[in-house]
Formats: sequence, structure tokens, C-alpha cells
Amino acid sequence: MNLDWSVVWDNLPRFWDGALMTVWLSVVTMALAIPGGLVLAFMRLSKVRVVAKSATAFVEFFRATPLILQIYWIYYVLPAYFDVQLSQMTTAIVGLVCNISSFNSETFRAGIVSIRLGQWNAGRAIGMTDRQVMVRIVLPQALMRVLPAFATTWVSLFKDTSLVSIISVADLSYVSLKIRTESFRIFEVLTAMAAIYWMMGYPQAKLVDWLHRRYRVAE
Amino acid sequence: MPSIVIWPIIGSWQFLLQAVWTTMVLSLLSMTLGFAIGVVVGALRTYSGRAIDLALGFYVDSMRAIPLLVVLVWTFFAFPLVIGYSLNVMTAGVIGLGVHLGAYMAETIRAGLTSVRRGQMWAALALGMSRVQAIRTIILPQALIRMLPALGSLFVFAVKDSAIASVIAVPELLRQTQVVAGNTFRPFELYTAAMLVYFLLCFPVARGVDRIYRRLAHLGSS
Amino acid sequence: MTAGQTKHRRVSHGSAPILALEHIVKRYGALTALEDVSLNVNRGEVVCLIGPSGSGKSTLLRCANALETLDGGRILFEGREVHAGDPKSARAVRQRMGMVFQNFELFPHLTVLRNITIGPTTVLRLDPAAAEQRARTLLAKVDLSDKATAYPAALSGGQQQRVAIARALAMEPALMLFDEPTSALDPETVGEVLTVMKALADEGTTMVVVTHEMDFARRVGDWIVVFDKGRIIEEGPPKQIFETTTVARTREFLSHLGWHGESTLEAADVAPLDKEDIAR
Repeated sequence: MNLDWSVVWDNLPRFWDGALMTVWLSVVTMALAIPGGLVLAFMRLSKVRVVAKSATAFVEFFRATPLILQIYWIYYVLPAYFDVQLSQMTTAIVGLVCNISSFNSETFRAGIVSIRLGQWNAGRAIGMTDRQVMVRIVLPQALMRVLPAFATTWVSLFKDTSLVSIISVADLSYVSLKIRTESFRIFEVLTAMAAIYWMMGYPQAKLVDWLHRRYRVAE
Repeated sequence: MPSIVIWPIIGSWQFLLQAVWTTMVLSLLSMTLGFAIGVVVGALRTYSGRAIDLALGFYVDSMRAIPLLVVLVWTFFAFPLVIGYSLNVMTAGVIGLGVHLGAYMAETIRAGLTSVRRGQMWAALALGMSRVQAIRTIILPQALIRMLPALGSLFVFAVKDSAIASVIAVPELLRQTQVVAGNTFRPFELYTAAMLVYFLLCFPVARGVDRIYRRLAHLGSS
Repeated sequence: MTAGQTKHRRVSHGSAPILALEHIVKRYGALTALEDVSLNVNRGEVVCLIGPSGSGKSTLLRCANALETLDGGRILFEGREVHAGDPKSARAVRQRMGMVFQNFELFPHLTVLRNITIGPTTVLRLDPAAAEQRARTLLAKVDLSDKATAYPAALSGGQQQRVAIARALAMEPALMLFDEPTSALDPETVGEVLTVMKALADEGTTMVVVTHEMDFARRVGDWIVVFDKGRIIEEGPPKQIFETTTVARTREFLSHLGWHGESTLEAADVAPLDKEDIAR
């Protein structure tokens, strides 16, 4: 196997742009999916049955079906049937946000529910309304607990962005695969693609481990 | 609302059923490979020295860092160049999915093994068992029972991730749905049907595992 | 024969000790758990290790059956040195010693019967039928025949500990080690376990027991060893330790347990136990 790595060095700017896009997609998605997850979590905990049930259906659906299929569905199905033409970028973000919000809502819900009943009672005992207890006592504690789980979701999200390449959004995967077809240097380009993801992802994974250790819950 | 036609689904039903079967086979095979890797890596990380723990940790953390899409594409296109033979899509799919899943399995199994009380290992060793016998007959079974919910959710991941194998043309459900949609120009019905199939495959598994776990939990608590 | 409290080891046993611990040192980082501990256990003897928590008694037991390595000194079992670091040697030793743990440590995923047979079948390679036969005999001995197919989670603490004793006995060990066998039990169930242990002692089983049950140590023990802060501060027959000790620390330790140098047992408490022994 004779390797010619120049194809990688020559295309470094394109790889860089792809990597930036990957990061940008992840940041935008998480920025939207955290509030999204919170909204869904509250809807699921709502006393109004219709609200709770529809939120649950949404969440279970997005968690039990593949993200890649969700992206296809939004991109190919919506325009043909609902007269909605979303750009590739918008589709990608909508798909990612719906998906990640669903996972986040579970994280939030588990976090809120895990705060001991005693905390609620203590809050009510000093005369706070349920809403005040939620906002001032329960939510802050829940947020501390969910931080490690969010970090894990972030790392997953970062990898999931690679799937938007199938609808030609110019993330790192799309760019790399394009360079591969142009240059025919399969091994070098694919290995470079893996290596760049590794360089971005590995430190994030270690950071997540650190967060899990640091924020271990002590009752 | 435009008309919803189910004919395209019915007409290609055998083709799509074959695809569902392929998805299931792909998921189960990758789970099996992933489990085998996971048990070995998880046990080695728990019971061997620091050097092995770090080396295997490198494998596990790398799989957390690299997207499955990249792993599959590399396995199908680049790996054959290393070993000198080409792989068919199904083999590449199983290997890529299995190796990726194996890292998550290893972490789950490691957590399970370390959650078993130390005293259980002592009690097994006190009977004269070797470490390997103790792990195999006493620690691992308890750990597996405790990990049932986590294993269930890994199964759901395996099924969902199998759809990514469509990018290397494995004839699983997503791929074949794309083919039929291309021929019949009715993406809505087909992709929606595909979504429903995945939902039906995954959703009950998660619930089912919870139910089974509740019945068996006492067998894992020491 | 009821274990005589006046039996003195040097007089009754001419043969070499079954277990000899010589100048044992064990450290955990900066903490020294055992400092120059030497102890002999003769065949057929019941040796009770008593002393405050954290004084090294449990550590000593784990060193004896090679679950822990030594930082100094050596252990001789049945005349041969125990090398905890060598897996083969360690396993050979553990097969000949039985250990009963404070937390029972029954295997929760196996039935009671399987808990008892797993040692013989896996380690001694006994055939399953013979192992089961042995297990059922032992279950009858600890009075739990009806629980053979139950899982540990369904048993009370006392029942689990009795199964644990049967499990250790199934390996037909030369020496039985008990690490605070009743410390984790409800008071009502302590008696049923001590009864089993007394029966074993009466049969001549060699036992090393770490315990806080002073009545048991006094009545069943042949030789008492008092630990404090990783060292042996006194050893001797029960009468010496419990009634006539001159070591201040021993007296202080015993007084904290409510033992003031005289038996607090009524005659009525003693009698029922003896009747059961006769029935066996």
C-alpha cells in the first residue's frame, strides 16, 4: 500500500471548514435543544392529560427511531406533502433539535423527579408556592445532577452531526467524502477524517468523564 | 392534505419484509459481536493491571469520539486496503457496528462488574475458585442481571444504528425504503412506514426489558 | 464432648499446629493493620479472636487464607508455607480452608442448593450427583432442608448464614474460619447460628472465630486471643482471659462489653442448648 498524504495537507482548509461546521451545528443544536428539552419535560409532567400525552408521544417517537431516518423524513417528505421547502441546513437543524430535545427531556425529567420529596416539603413548609419551590429549590439542584448527563448527550450529538452529510450539508463527513471521491486516495482521506473527529472528540469524552466524577451525586 | 396511498408499500411488501429481516439480523449480529468484545474488554479493564486498563480505555474512548458513520465507511472502504481482501457490505456492517457498540458494551459491563460487592469475589475465592472461575460463575452472572436495563437500551441503539449502515449500501430497511421510494415516487408512505417499523422494533424492547428486570432484580442484588 | 475450658493446647496436642502465623506484618499504605503477630492453631481447637473493631482480627483471617498478601512474616498451613501471591498455591490453601463471612456473601443468582454444590463441582470436580448428596446432608445438618430450592433473597439473615456455613463445609476443609459470623444478624437469629457453630466445635472441627459474642467465646473456645491495634496483647484459655486477666487493656475491653468477670448467664439459658446437642 503506498500512501500519499499530500492529499490531506492540500485540502486542510476544506477539512477545517467542515470541522467548523460540525462544531457550529452541535452548538446551535444544543442551544436550542436545552430549552426544547425543558419545555418537553414540563409538558410531560403537566397535569393536563392531552399535553402530557402528546409530549410523551413526541419524545418516545424521536427516541425510538433512527436519527438518520428522521432527517430523511423531514427533508424528503415535508416538501412533497406539506408544501414546506426547508433548506438542507434548516432540515438538519430541525431534525437534530427534535431528536436531542427528546433525549434532553428525559434527562430533565429524571433530574427533577430525583430530587427528594423532602425538598419539596421543606420548600412548601416555609410557605413557598409550588412554582417557587420548583424554580428556587428543585430546578437548581436538578441542573447540577443533569450536567453530567448533558455532557454525555453533547458528545453523542457531536457524532450525530455526521449524519447531516447525507443531505449534503457541508459538515466534516460530507467534505471528507467529497475529497475522497475527487482524489481516489481512499485510505488517506478516510483515515484523516477519522483522525480529525478523534482529535475533536477524544478530549470531549475525557472532559465528560471528569464531569461525571466531579458532579457525582452525594445524598 | 394530499392522498395517502398504501399501494407502494403493499406492492413491495416482500422486498421490504426482507429488509426488515436484514435489519434484525444486522442488529443481532452486531449486538453479539459487541457483547463479546464488551465482556472481554470490560472484564480485562476491571481485573487486569493499570497498563491494560489504559490501553483498552484508549479503544473505548476512541469509539466514543468517532461517529459510527465514519467507522462504517472506514471499515468498508479503507480496512480492505489494509488487510488485502475486500469485505462484503454485510460483513463490513457487522464489524463496524459491532466494534463501535463493543466500546459502549465494555463500559456497561465494567460498571456492572464493579457494582458487585467485593465480598462476593472473596467468598468465591475462599471456596478455592480461580479468579477466572469466580468471574465466570459468580461475578459476571450477577453483573449481567444488574445491567439488564442498560443492555436493553444498548439493543435499542443497535437497531437504530443499523440504519446508518445504509450509507454503505447494506440492504437493510432504510436502504431498501430509499430504493422503493425512488422507484415509486411515494416517499411519504414509505418513510413513514419505515419509521413505524423501527418504532415497533425498539419501543417494546425498552419496556419489555424493564418488566423482565423487575422480576429478576433480586437475583442480582448481593 | 463439650469443649473443655481448661484444655490447654500444649498439653493436649502433640502434633504440629495446623496453622502457624509467624511475625505477620500487614500494611495498607500508611496504616499498619498487623504488627508482628504470631499465633498457632492446633488441630481440633477452637481459637477465638476478640478485641476492639479495627484491631486487625479480620485482616488476620484474610491473610490466613491467602486473600491478602503479607508485608512481613510467613504463614504455615499443614506444614507448608502459604504464598498468597502465587495463584496456584493460594487456591490450594483456600480449598482446604473454609471461610464464613460477616455479610454471608451467598451467591444471589443461585439457589441455596446450588450455592452449596458450586464449590465441590467447580473446584473439586465432584460429579453433580455426589455434590448434591453432600449438599443435602449438610443442609439437614444446619436444619434448612426445606430451603434447598429457595433463593438467598427469600431467607432471613440467620438462615443465610447457616447456608453459608454449609457451603464452606461442603469443601470438607481442614480448618474453618469465621469472620464475625453473627455481627450482621438480628439478635433473635444469632442463637441459631451459634448453635450450629457449637455443634461443629463439639465434633472436633478446627475453628478460628473472630467474634464479639463473649459468651460463645467463653463456653466454646479453647484458646482466646485478644487483639488491640494490630497486636496480640494477651492469649490463653478462656478462664484466664475472662476471669483472671492481669492485662489492663483486656479488662478494659471486656468491661465495655458488659462482662465484669463473672457469668451473667442463668442456668436456664444454658440448659436448652445442651438438650439440642444431645439430640444430635
